[in-house]
Amino acid sequence: MVNRLIYGIDQLNKTVGHAFAWCILILTFGTSYEVFVRYALVNPTSWAFDMSYLLYGALFFMAGAYTLSRNGHVRGDFIYRTWRPRTQAIVELTLYILFFFPGVLALVYAGWSYGLEAFRLREASVWSPVGVPVWQMKILIPFGAGLLALQGFAEVLRCIQCMRDNCWPQRLHDVEELESAIRHEQEDLAKRQSTPAGPK
Amino acid sequence: MSDPVVALVMLGLFIFLILLGFPIAFTLMGMGVGFGFYAYYQVGQEFVDNRIFYLLTQNTWSIMSNDVLVSVPLFLFMGYVIERSNTLDRLFYSLQVSLRHIPGSMAVAALLTCAMFATATGIVGAVVTLMGLLALPAMLKAGYDQKLSSGVICAGGTLGILIPPSIMLIVYAATSSISVVRLYAAAMIPGILLAGLYMVYVITRVVINPKLAPKLPEDEANVPWGKAALLLLQAFVPLAVLISAVLGSILFGLATPTEAAAIGALGSLILAAAYRALTWQRLQEAVYLTARTSAMVCFLFVGSWTFSSVFSYLGGESVIKEFVLAMELTPIQFLLLSQLIIFLLGWPLEWTEIIIIFVPIFLPLLAHFQFDPLFFGILIALNLQTSFLTPPMAMSAYYLKGIAPASVQLWTIFKGCFPFLGMVFVTMFLVHVFPQLVYWLPGLFYGK
Repeated sequence: MVNRLIYGIDQLNKTVGHAFAWCILILTFGTSYEVFVRYALVNPTSWAFDMSYLLYGALFFMAGAYTLSRNGHVRGDFIYRTWRPRTQAIVELTLYILFFFPGVLALVYAGWSYGLEAFRLREASVWSPVGVPVWQMKILIPFGAGLLALQGFAEVLRCIQCMRDNCWPQRLHDVEELESAIRHEQEDLAKRQSTPAGPK
Repeated sequence: MSDPVVALVMLGLFIFLILLGFPIAFTLMGMGVGFGFYAYYQVGQEFVDNRIFYLLTQNTWSIMSNDVLVSVPLFLFMGYVIERSNTLDRLFYSLQVSLRHIPGSMAVAALLTCAMFATATGIVGAVVTLMGLLALPAMLKAGYDQKLSSGVICAGGTLGILIPPSIMLIVYAATSSISVVRLYAAAMIPGILLAGLYMVYVITRVVINPKLAPKLPEDEANVPWGKAALLLLQAFVPLAVLISAVLGSILFGLATPTEAAAIGALGSLILAAAYRALTWQRLQEAVYLTARTSAMVCFLFVGSWTFSSVFSYLGGESVIKEFVLAMELTPIQFLLLSQLIIFLLGWPLEWTEIIIIFVPIFLPLLAHFQFDPLFFGILIALNLQTSFLTPPMAMSAYYLKGIAPASVQLWTIFKGCFPFLGMVFVTMFLVHVFPQLVYWLPGLFYGK
């Protein structure tokens, strides 16, 4: 039951994060297109600059919760990693309540009025003559922060599970950085080689 | 408690919290909101009208619409695509056969491969891991010294965060609001100088003691020049062209760093397709990892900007300034002290945290000691090479240990890295003594 909730939240944020991740392709092609038309056709676009930061902003902000679900936000963990899982979980749980939720919920709350205001004014970019709209990005702030808070809740549940079992629950599979993917592959290989042969 | 004292408590508490290993972006955000609420509190004001809430969203939006940081995901994407394009083994092999008459040819080739691949991808972990699988066993099999072989891979791979186009320099530019373009131009010569010193060191060691790197057996080393040239053309040239196109268009002012990064990303897709390595799965992996790493870096900015605006509002910045000024340091003492602190921070922390969180503490002091943020940035970039190579958190050494043959001890890898640390310090010294190494290229391109 609890596990289904945790995995459900993970899955939701993974889907959102993956969806917004594709912004990078639009960003790549859109910006390349701008360079092409500027030099080849001497006819720069009026939207490329605004497009670039809007896509980048959406990309990283909406991937925040997804990154949290993959434990991808950087930590100074040189002491942390020497603790027992239970100690880690207790400390993390405390810090989630003391720092994570106040910060993120403040962003949900303040972002909501900020985004709503931009929406009401149908705010447009000040940088371009064609009035590229920016309100849709500002309204993303409360949603992105809300997803972060939701993922934080899932992480808190993980902490509680870990305090009970003294080991961290497994995460869903997803792409890994090449270095960890290779390391895991090699560990699996070593395991498989050592088990069937047995000690001689 | 007066406000500046609260600010110092804030800083102290933050350093303690880093040690607890919580994701730093959210520690910063939470502390910024908490202390900010106190700082902006006005008697009789509604809870929700506190200025900190506005400040938090405003900062978030400034990061989301930051036109310098836009190039971060693009360069990351370029890196992840190149990393997955099966070019590394060809690159290493082609350099190895081309350099076979140089003493310690394999180590030099490994160093060059690492430096070049790391420059193109900017992802240290991947370079060190891949080379650890590819070049380390090859060097050990050829009878190369363990220390030398592992040091070459760690040090070479770490160069990726220094030599432009590097993401670290973009992040520094965003932190210190100086131009990315000038910073790239300034980092070129010191970066190449450091890579050159690494190479000179390796060759000198091997010339003095040939046992460190025995010559390859004749049959293996004997590749005709035509074939070697063809290999170079297939592996070395495309990557070199891609890097120079990206860098060149930035340095000659043909494109903004963002545009150049987009072209680089497009180029890397074409390159991967040409090597028949662009599968749907690899593209997905690159896209998703780009999103995650961008979120990691940019959320650190969101937290850090909020934290530091509250910190300076409380007067923390001026307390630190007064404190440092009261020490009556000479400029050179200040420089040594600040670089020492950054060096020490590099033991437990990674470059992202150091540049985004700690470097801003030094930046307001630079004017007083008449240091240029550009010059200071290059010294920091050089200095942070060490953060990957010094225990206890020598990331490069750990990446290598993770996949190295069991006979290679972690301590051996550390010992292999130490001489390269020395080279970093030599380069920093040279840059300090001859500032022209930093200023010549930006001056040439853009004037004073």
